[in-house]
Amino acid sequence: MGWMHRTWNVLRPERLSRDLDRELSAHIAECADELMAGGLTEAEAAREARRRFGNPGRQKERTRDADVFGWLESIVGDVRYAMRSLVSAPVFALVAIFSLGLGIGANTAIFSLINAVMLRSLPVSAPEELVQVTMGESDGSWFTNPIWEELRDRQEAFSGVFSYARTEFNLADGGEARRTNGYWVSGGFFSTLGLRPRMGRLLTTADDVRGCAAIAVVSASFWDGELGGRPALEGTGILLNGTRFDVVGVVDPSFTGVDVGQAVHIYAPLCTRELVDGPGTLDARSNWYLRIIGRPRAGIASEQVRARLAALAPAVFGATIPPDFDAQTQNEYASNTLSIEPAEHGLSSVREQYGAALEVLLGVVGVVLLIACANVANLLLARATTRRHELAIRLAIGAGRMRVVRQMVTESLVLALFGAALGVFVARWGSSGLVRLLDGQEGTVWLDLSLDARILAFTSAVAVVCGLLFGLVPAWRATRVAPQSAMQSGGRAIAQGSARFTVGKALVIGQVSLSFALIVAAGLLLGTFRNVVTVDSGFVAEGVLLVRTDLHRTGLVEEGRALAKQAILARLRATPGVRSASASHLTPVSGHAWNGRILVEGYTPQSMPDALVFYNAVSDDFLKTMGTRLVAGRDFQRIDRLGAPRVALINQTMAHKFFGTASPIGRVFTEDGPGGAGPAHTIIGIVEDTKYSTLREDPLPIAYLPIAQEGWTGREVNYAIRTDADPAALEAAVSREVGAIHPAITIVFTPFDRQVASSLSRERLLAMLAGFFGALALTLSMIGLYGTMSYAVARRRVEIGVRLALGAAPGSIVQMVVREAGWLIVIGLVLGVGVAVAGTRSLEAFLFGVTPTDPRTIAVCGAFLVLAALAAAALPAWRASRSDPLTALRES
Amino acid sequence: MAKPKSDALRGTLALLILQTLAQAGKLHGYAITRHIHRASAELLRVEEGSLYPALHRMEQDGWVKADWGVTERNREARFYAITASGRRQLVQEQESWGRLFDGVQRVLRYA
Repeated sequence: MGWMHRTWNVLRPERLSRDLDRELSAHIAECADELMAGGLTEAEAAREARRRFGNPGRQKERTRDADVFGWLESIVGDVRYAMRSLVSAPVFALVAIFSLGLGIGANTAIFSLINAVMLRSLPVSAPEELVQVTMGESDGSWFTNPIWEELRDRQEAFSGVFSYARTEFNLADGGEARRTNGYWVSGGFFSTLGLRPRMGRLLTTADDVRGCAAIAVVSASFWDGELGGRPALEGTGILLNGTRFDVVGVVDPSFTGVDVGQAVHIYAPLCTRELVDGPGTLDARSNWYLRIIGRPRAGIASEQVRARLAALAPAVFGATIPPDFDAQTQNEYASNTLSIEPAEHGLSSVREQYGAALEVLLGVVGVVLLIACANVANLLLARATTRRHELAIRLAIGAGRMRVVRQMVTESLVLALFGAALGVFVARWGSSGLVRLLDGQEGTVWLDLSLDARILAFTSAVAVVCGLLFGLVPAWRATRVAPQSAMQSGGRAIAQGSARFTVGKALVIGQVSLSFALIVAAGLLLGTFRNVVTVDSGFVAEGVLLVRTDLHRTGLVEEGRALAKQAILARLRATPGVRSASASHLTPVSGHAWNGRILVEGYTPQSMPDALVFYNAVSDDFLKTMGTRLVAGRDFQRIDRLGAPRVALINQTMAHKFFGTASPIGRVFTEDGPGGAGPAHTIIGIVEDTKYSTLREDPLPIAYLPIAQEGWTGREVNYAIRTDADPAALEAAVSREVGAIHPAITIVFTPFDRQVASSLSRERLLAMLAGFFGALALTLSMIGLYGTMSYAVARRRVEIGVRLALGAAPGSIVQMVVREAGWLIVIGLVLGVGVAVAGTRSLEAFLFGVTPTDPRTIAVCGAFLVLAALAAAALPAWRASRSDPLTALRES
Repeated sequence: MAKPKSDALRGTLALLILQTLAQAGKLHGYAITRHIHRASAELLRVEEGSLYPALHRMEQDGWVKADWGVTERNREARFYAITASGRRQLVQEQESWGRLFDGVQRVLRYA
């Protein structure tokens, strides 16, 4: 209890003081009374009592020492003094706090993202125990449902195990789709994760058996938003891809799924796939889409779990061999094995895509913060010189140097902590903006950015380090003043030749070199973005509307579907405003791919992947709609229909790879697969190379097959419509035309240029942020340079006044000052080139079309920096040359 | 001589204060010095400058507790009383004083 009192007393010194006074004066009075009783007069008694007691001030101090924590008191005193001196210099304090707030805020924002994407554990019970099942050495982590069922029934290593797959559910009843993220989950999902419902109940293993009822669990935000937050569960139903599901429960709001970066709203049992996607879905042995996560039994080490799973593998794979595989592939399949990986932080495509980029950004904002700290340090140095007298007096009357340094460092820490507080607000605003950038326009990325202990600890640590960084050196230098010289007012220094190389100049050199490295990095990333955007993609994305249709709910099959799709295509072509329209299985740069091996006479593949080509099934006019050039031969026509000889178009890369310089038109390639050789296709034309999955890829061999021959009978088909006007304006007309064919066809619209743009979101993010922070760093450095030169000029104003009075031309003054700045810039630039070359190496993975040490970028950035710096230095120089010599001399 | 007396006294001040309060109950600061002076047959006089630092230190350590009260002469003063842990500390102080005393006696008698 004593320490509590001692702390409390530090905070209420007046009360302590009053109490002590009362106590001690009572003592003296009692003593005086007793002496009076012994015969002394009142005055004599009082005097004697006081004499016996001793110096009351000193006794009070000594008593007081027992009642407080001395060290706490001096800290509190320092903080009070720091606050007072900051209040007395409001402009300085605001500027410093503001720049620190921006710098620390930027760092905290990026760290919040890193925290949410990479460091946070899943909000489930004991996440560190969870492991993901993988497929042996290939580390593949996707499984088919038959494999999952075998594993589930045979395993004993896990106390709880579940499988899940991410999907999008369409909530709409025909017409344009309303999609929401959801999971197919097995029955053990919720119990293995240890989750609790907010309302109703969660799914159990009893809900996941063949022939189950259509029930689902939804997320809290879905319940509050889409379902209106109704108070009771009874009778609540939702449409998932056209099938009605009963909602039986609402998950606790803190859980939003196992994939970091995606918020999932609907959980449907795996067994209901039979209802939604048709019978036989659950038995498909070639559909690899499930992830499996388990919690090992207590007491079993991970090595043992691996061993047990490996022992199970032959039985699991043996029981699920796809029958259409040929013998050799069947053997390969049966020899697959199982292993595990930790899954504590959840699985995340956001992490894979953006993790490294976020780390780079953390480095970038760290550098910006360093530059901001250098500015604050310079400000503090300048301020210290104005406090020279005060410091000199304090040192002269006996304050130890360390004590004064400690007080000044406290001031810096107070500044840093205020900056950090501001930074936390900046970070909240900045990090949600950043998430929107990560996201493009889709609104699908969702991250838990709430303030947690880790973020606060990071911010405080950064604040303390900054405070020490920019506070120690000025404090140390300021107390180096010899008390006597400082107390002489002014000091008529005519020629300020000493201290050529001050700390302030060193700081500016550091800032120049760091900001140069940053703008080089920004230049490289901007160049990368420009290169990716202007790459020859082989198609023209502007003016094209992509329409994805799903005919599943129409009830049509086979022939009916083919007729419906062809009818839609005909109607689209007849719609006013449509220049051309086509249909295809896949659209470019969509993230989907379809590939297969082929056999070509006269070509021997070096390896399995060497015989791979990428496919798309397209209608006639696909090339015209996409803006892709036909280089030789002819496009698909009506004669290439079902039953006619099978044909194909190939791209230049495929032609060159498999046929060399000879013309491939008229030649044949045969599809090859695990089930043996497939149909042969005659090549009727060559198409120019296009991008297939991403804009950054190297050219891939692509074969186009006629959609009429490949299958008009699938569930989905993509239409592409080229128009001269804004593609979005056609949406209403397209909905009408499609609806006229069948009202239950679901439609998703995507402008093609938006699809391309969202494939570039990472490059765009890096370019924008690097550019922004590079510009910010340059601005801060130029402010620092401007400040230092102004200060240097101010110190020499008497000298400049004398020179002007003696007849020097103003131009020569400007030259003199700029020359002084020039040295700083040159040294900074040279150092900066070194830092840039060393630092940009880490960017190599992100660049496209430029090398990390691209000389052109370095030269351009260098020229830019020199111009900016000269401008920053020229202003104080120009002002100096205009100063009136008489005023300058008189003032000193 | 005042100096050596107070040196020796400081080490035993806690012991004397605790013993005083244990025997005499609740006392204010001046009353404590009076008690010690009388009980020691005027051989010991507490250095007033060290009394209050010692009392406050003991209060923070939890050996005594203090309340404001009124003296016989109707003056407001702070009254100190011993606590349970103070009594335990008293026993310890008595023991170490005994050891000190024994040791010094032996040295003095050593021929």
